[in-house]
Amino acid sequence: MAQVVRTSKSSRTGRIAALVLGVLAGAAVPLAALGARAADGTLVWARDGDSDSLDPQRTTTTLSWEVFAQIYDSLLAFDESGKIGPHLAKSWVVSPDGKEVSLTLNGDITCHDGAPFTAEDVKYTIDRALDAKNPSITKASWGPITSVDVVNPETVSVKFSSPFGAFLSFMTDPMASMLCRGDAKLGDKFGVSAAIGTGPFKLVSWTKGDQIVLERNTAYKNFGLPAQNKSAPHIAKLVVKNITEAQSRLAGLKTGELQVAEPPLAEVTTIKDDKTLTLVTAKNTGQDNFFEFAVHRPPFNDARARKAIAYALDIDGALDIVYGGLVDRERCPVAHPVMGSEQDFCKSVGYDYDPEKAKALLAELGYGPDKPLDVVMLSWTGGDRDKLVQVFQNQLQQVGIHAKIEMMDIGTLNARVTQENEKTTGPGTFDLMGWAWFDPDILYALWHSPGAYKGYSTPELDALLEKSRTSADPTSRLGLVHDIEKILLQEAVMIPVYTPGWNWIYAVRAEVKGFKVGPFKRPMFNDVTF
Amino acid sequence: MARYLLKRLLSAVVTIWVTTIAVVLLIHLVPGDPVKIMFAQSQSTTPEQLETVRHNLGLDRPIYEQYAIYMSRVLHGDFGHTIRGDQPILPLLLGRLPYTLALALSSLLVATVIGLGLGFLAAYKRGTALDSLCMVLAIGGVSVPVFWLGQILILVFAVRLSWFQVAGSDWRSLILPALTLGVTNAAVVARLTRSTMIDIFNQDYIRTAWAKGLPARTVLSRHALRAGLVPIVTILGLQFTYTMGGAVIVENVFSWNGIGRLAVQAIFQRDYPLIQGFILTFACLVALVSLAMDVLYAVLDPRIVHV
Repeated sequence: MAQVVRTSKSSRTGRIAALVLGVLAGAAVPLAALGARAADGTLVWARDGDSDSLDPQRTTTTLSWEVFAQIYDSLLAFDESGKIGPHLAKSWVVSPDGKEVSLTLNGDITCHDGAPFTAEDVKYTIDRALDAKNPSITKASWGPITSVDVVNPETVSVKFSSPFGAFLSFMTDPMASMLCRGDAKLGDKFGVSAAIGTGPFKLVSWTKGDQIVLERNTAYKNFGLPAQNKSAPHIAKLVVKNITEAQSRLAGLKTGELQVAEPPLAEVTTIKDDKTLTLVTAKNTGQDNFFEFAVHRPPFNDARARKAIAYALDIDGALDIVYGGLVDRERCPVAHPVMGSEQDFCKSVGYDYDPEKAKALLAELGYGPDKPLDVVMLSWTGGDRDKLVQVFQNQLQQVGIHAKIEMMDIGTLNARVTQENEKTTGPGTFDLMGWAWFDPDILYALWHSPGAYKGYSTPELDALLEKSRTSADPTSRLGLVHDIEKILLQEAVMIPVYTPGWNWIYAVRAEVKGFKVGPFKRPMFNDVTF
Repeated sequence: MARYLLKRLLSAVVTIWVTTIAVVLLIHLVPGDPVKIMFAQSQSTTPEQLETVRHNLGLDRPIYEQYAIYMSRVLHGDFGHTIRGDQPILPLLLGRLPYTLALALSSLLVATVIGLGLGFLAAYKRGTALDSLCMVLAIGGVSVPVFWLGQILILVFAVRLSWFQVAGSDWRSLILPALTLGVTNAAVVARLTRSTMIDIFNQDYIRTAWAKGLPARTVLSRHALRAGLVPIVTILGLQFTYTMGGAVIVENVFSWNGIGRLAVQAIFQRDYPLIQGFILTFACLVALVSLAMDVLYAVLDPRIVHV
């Protein structure tokens, strides 16, 4: 006879009860962990990507230098308004011919490994950046340096073959972060799993693609950063997490798992009403979003066509519709607070919304209601730029310009823009591009022949850009920058649109106080408490 | 058996080799220069510097030379360095691979449990409302977009109920992504299980087992399910490949630190060496799993070896 094995009801009930208890216990652990994290002074900051390297001389991505600014210090620093001031270096002297800059360091600066930071470390950093075999990828930004000499433990002299106007502003940048000589002993680990600087946080670990864990540098001294706290950060740990999905970051903020993160733009209005979160908007980012044109073929080889586009765009109206006050109109080829970003001056030499003038210029070129101008408008995804270009498309339609929109990632856009500049046939294209830099030397990179994208260039513009680059006197340099901007704007080589434009909005848990974004979009945690 | 395994192993090696050639060719057809993209937002780089970097990376050589150099390095265990950040690739991939494997295997487990359960129940109660319900649930699972389901699970279980973290790298953080991927894969397993089991339930030996008065559990598990495992194991092997692909999306939704997320980043950055390393690793993994499935198949049904 077959035996039928029955499970008793009581043992089955017991198994189910054990399962439920197990699930509840497992669920309780993350809650406990969340509470524990907040209590032990660890702040979690989530971003939409990961750093490429912890070596400031190997990468230029924003995600990378945001972390450099936590681990390292620079010789100089921008104040709130974007003016250059002291930091690791308490003073500097530029020689009358502009070919030598002497920097004097503050005393009592300590590296994370306990060694004192001296002029030898400055020399090590700059020599490494200029190394012939393996130079920094931003080598050109250091300028035409011929030698770096240690005058005494607190003074270093940097000599140039010709004056380089952008040197001092570059000394404020995280890509010119000062390394400690201890980094040389780390070998292949430097920038990958280890880093020694003098910054407010020390590196604990980097799980590539997941998170960077930093701990407070208790010996830290803030000599020049625009933060109230002049010593070690208040928080014990800063965890920089990589969470690609914006909705996931928002979810993490709501649960308290994250304390600082960039939210989805579409949720900004909701966040404003959410009492558990506050919005922090970066100002003075130096981010410039502008239109530029493929100028080596019709129609945009003719300045009238470019000017027609400039007249046709109601930029203020479009920004209000799409961003509602989250961004500012930018009229200059360099965005504030970069030297040269004077809105009144740029407005006086640029073009304002005037659809009738746009139509008149198009008529001169042979376009009209019976023969609309067909063009292609390119831009890169993210930051609600797709909505913005749709509004622009509509505005262009009103004056008889049919603009087909193509959106792509920034890498593809960069390649495409160069391709379009190399083509001699095909519909006219123009693109909404974005660049960020802290010095008007960016104009040299973009517009000095052959140009960043092989676009517009003229000998006159080249000469001005070269003079501006080699001018060490701020006043005469500003005059040259104005001359450059006048050409770019009057010839409608570029049409500045707005600033900022990417990664500029942060949502912060309400209990977190003191988080701010310094000039040129540098998140600062020195004053944070929660 | 040895001959069978050798044939399968050779097939796997050829598959991987062809994959690497295809990858090298395809990558160079995609628009965008990786060196230019690497320096895209770096305004101070000179054209000479770009050329130096291009030369150091071997990108100025003909494709076949690049491939030959790459393969010789790979055979020595050197997958090169990333273009962005100059990170050694093999440790990077090996560090992330366990996360993807954990996700793929756990979601396969979820898919198997749900799929086998639904399929078996549907077959056993064939023609009834329960059969229809099981199939509707299964189809619902495969119809739901992975991305959407993931976000909903985060909203419900992480945000509303606070049962799980939104993002993490421990075993608790694996539950929601595994569920997401598993549910969407379960339908295939369920449908195949149902049709296989229906076929088996109609076999004479099952009728004999019932006639002998064996307990239902014995008939269903020892006689019916065991016989049905062969085609199911085959589909599981294919599902593993599909799951690995789906893991790319799920890893991004849940910020799970596997190689899928790394691959997406590499593609956007045109990081050629990293993309190649990822594809090679992925191809090896899929080939190995297919090989394992072939072995398991042969164990379950010795007739396979002699075909």
